[in-house]
Amino acid sequence: MLLKCDKTIPERKKHIVIKGENGCGGDSSGCEIACNVPTTPGDMTERGCTYAGCRGVVGGPVKDVIQMTHGPIGCAYYSWGYRPHLADSDFHMKYIFVSDIDESNIIFGGEKKLLQSIIEASKEFPEAKGVFVYNTCPTALIGDDGKYIAKAAQEKIGKPVVFFPCEGFRGVSQSQGHHVGNMTIFDTLVGSVEPEEDYAYSINIVGDYNIKNDEKTFEHLFEDMGVNIITRFTGNVSIDDLKIMHKAQLNVVHCQRSATYIADMMREKYNTPSINVTLWGISNMSNALRDVAKFFGLEKEAERIINTETAKIKPKIEYYKKRLEGKTVFIYQGAPRAWHWPDLMRELGMEVVVAATTFGHEDDYDKIFKKVKKGTLVIDNPNAMELEEIIETYKPDLFISGNKEKYLAYKLGTSFVNGHTYETGPYAGYSGMVNFARDIDRAINTPVWEMLREKAWPVKNNSNPEVV
Amino acid sequence: MSTVTKQKRAVAINPTRSCAPIGAMLATYGVHGALTINHGSQGCATYPRHQMARHFREPIEVATTSLTEKTTIYGGRDNLIAAMENVYERYHPTMITVCSTCLSETIGDDITGIVDEFIEGHPDVDIPIITVNTPSYIGTHITGFDNFLKTVAVDFPVKDKPNGKVNIMPGWVNPGDIREIEAMTRKMGIEGIFLTDYSDTLDGGIYRPKPQFPKGGTTIEELRDSANSLATIALQKHVGGEAAEIYEKQYGIPAYTLPMPIGIENTDKFIKTLSKVTGREISEELRDERARLLDAIIDAHMFLTSLKVAIFGDPDVVEGLVRLAAEIGLEPKFALTSSDFKPWGEDMMKLSDELGLDMEIMMKSDLHELYKKIKEEPVDLIFGTSKGRFIEEDLDIPLIRMGFPIEDRFGYHRRAIVGYRGGIYLVDKITNAVLAKKGLVVSNTLLEKPVEGAD
Repeated sequence: MLLKCDKTIPERKKHIVIKGENGCGGDSSGCEIACNVPTTPGDMTERGCTYAGCRGVVGGPVKDVIQMTHGPIGCAYYSWGYRPHLADSDFHMKYIFVSDIDESNIIFGGEKKLLQSIIEASKEFPEAKGVFVYNTCPTALIGDDGKYIAKAAQEKIGKPVVFFPCEGFRGVSQSQGHHVGNMTIFDTLVGSVEPEEDYAYSINIVGDYNIKNDEKTFEHLFEDMGVNIITRFTGNVSIDDLKIMHKAQLNVVHCQRSATYIADMMREKYNTPSINVTLWGISNMSNALRDVAKFFGLEKEAERIINTETAKIKPKIEYYKKRLEGKTVFIYQGAPRAWHWPDLMRELGMEVVVAATTFGHEDDYDKIFKKVKKGTLVIDNPNAMELEEIIETYKPDLFISGNKEKYLAYKLGTSFVNGHTYETGPYAGYSGMVNFARDIDRAINTPVWEMLREKAWPVKNNSNPEVV
Repeated sequence: MSTVTKQKRAVAINPTRSCAPIGAMLATYGVHGALTINHGSQGCATYPRHQMARHFREPIEVATTSLTEKTTIYGGRDNLIAAMENVYERYHPTMITVCSTCLSETIGDDITGIVDEFIEGHPDVDIPIITVNTPSYIGTHITGFDNFLKTVAVDFPVKDKPNGKVNIMPGWVNPGDIREIEAMTRKMGIEGIFLTDYSDTLDGGIYRPKPQFPKGGTTIEELRDSANSLATIALQKHVGGEAAEIYEKQYGIPAYTLPMPIGIENTDKFIKTLSKVTGREISEELRDERARLLDAIIDAHMFLTSLKVAIFGDPDVVEGLVRLAAEIGLEPKFALTSSDFKPWGEDMMKLSDELGLDMEIMMKSDLHELYKKIKEEPVDLIFGTSKGRFIEEDLDIPLIRMGFPIEDRFGYHRRAIVGYRGGIYLVDKITNAVLAKKGLVVSNTLLEKPVEGAD
């Protein structure tokens, strides 16, 4: 369908579908949506670049390496500490490193400066276990051979130096950056050492970035069950753990957009099986434990944990459910959370009425169509004007999205929860579900919305002609 | 005796500067109904939007031409034309700023030529479209703002009847600062044309229904009329200084480039200049504010005198803060900026000589370097942005937050550090940080911990 604000960009029509209309069946058969294609130029898209996806999402959470940007200052500066992928390390998230190329480097090349930067940084921080180098638009365009420099630097400093060809213009969104991150880590690190330990009952958690310590909510549950976690790809992870990832018996894949790549590559090369899970929500978390348990024959242990944990949170969830019952939700996330979270909303008595993703691929949308009810609007890569029109038309009780969209929602008088970095969090696992419910309750039931409805003063003597 | 040092390392570790496009975006936010199109990768628009939203807590909208691999080979012309059509037809803005990026500059897009081509092909387009060069590999975030002002100074003003107003370029400050500067001019009965005024657009209210463009901002008419003002006062040398010169050369309006009005003397300079160019007396109200600032400094001096301070941030902000620090009895030991502006080092040396300071003036430096210096030679206080948080935490030294960005505290964008009232705010803030940190306050006196002379 075409929104009113899109009259002059009719190509947006293919990116907006209502489940149950125009060939998209109520049973989600025949639901097709245009996605993972270039953004319409001039749109205020929420999409980022390949560098952001690689540096910010996949590489950035690795806690004990020097995070080096090869490029201009801005790319490094903006990726400094904005994503709460926490770790138990005093070094992590505190520093950014950048080769800081200037005009003369653009003309004469930046390779020497990169090499020098890596050497200097590793001298300043001898405790770092390696260096991740992320490429940017201009250094790629001028033809700097970052891969070669990384190799030379590695010989000089005696630690792994990994080069990510993640220049911003590659691909149509940050999604390409996730792919580059996966491939690079797989090619350069995974399997580079062969420890002789016993890895029975071992898994990797793949595609969890430990946002606001999410991992603390579910790791102990797997461990209680009798399963060891070798590697977290890539939340709260050491570069050393990435090297031995291939020793695990099973990959447990959470983010099925940004990290399926490495699970697929490991299946191909090491015959490592993988299962997809959702670690948010009560029934999802229980299913994840059951699925992993089944693989190892630990079903009894899983049921014991599930019973204890669900009983613990039940009264709290019931309290929030009473306060949230019947509310409607517009959920707009990077990709998978838009299909992970409709289940969670239902567990709280709420219903998703609009679902959107920034960089979802076809498989993400297939899952979204399956999860949402008939009549739900599904939109790909919405621009700012579309978001505004949708919020004004559908008037959801809650909008779940990211920092950039938060203040638009507020200006429109709409309750909001930041699903990217969480308001407080963590939101994963059983205990995280209580946090999520509490944050949603805060967002919806705070008194300010009542003041806005009943006590806002009409605008007087307004010089701004657009304000009615 | 102070010294100027310049960092030797190639690698920058925790720099205090970002890149140019965000400056053009911020300046554009100060024009009512104006929008920016960033010609580059999506990240070049999304990252700055994210950064500004964290600081201002407002919706930040910037369009992108979404360049991809293909356009790096064939050029970004088609995307830029399509973007201008898209933004013009859907938003009907009052003005469009097209700013460049590393990507579009390196592939060699002729942005001005493409904009001209667009305007020729669209006779219906009756709004100004300006281009600002903002490759990230030249200068810093303030360069983008400065380049924007130079473009405005050349493109907009239309000579007509004198308007009796004063052009004021506040520079890269906060909405609260612009409001304070505006209040000071109003108290003298003077009307200013602010180049540009993002006080309301980036610290706005809730209006139902939501206006399409945020309320406030300088109008296009005011930009045109700026050729007819009595004078131009640039309050940051590095953001607006050269643009003010353009006004003088092209339209015969005298240019005054002053230090940022932080503290007594710098604010005096601003007020006296306003008085000089308009012939208006300094108002009683401003005299009272000045007297209250002096009173606050006297009340605080037993807590503050001879404490050591490290100051980092944008060049003009640091320069203003060093003078304020000296006025309230602090001893600036380090003054750091990431920029490589030569005149800044010279100006800082002059300032230091005048004030008799003994500090290290650190140019093209970064916060890792500052951390190491402070570890060797401790200070009592740090003035700077949220990016200095790790020094505050590691060395347990209070960081008094000021400048851009403040992303780990609330409401700083609303506060003014300029003017007499901004000075009072700073004295309060600094003194409270000292009292909270240092020990026992009884009967308006301080017992410092640990007790001097005791074991």
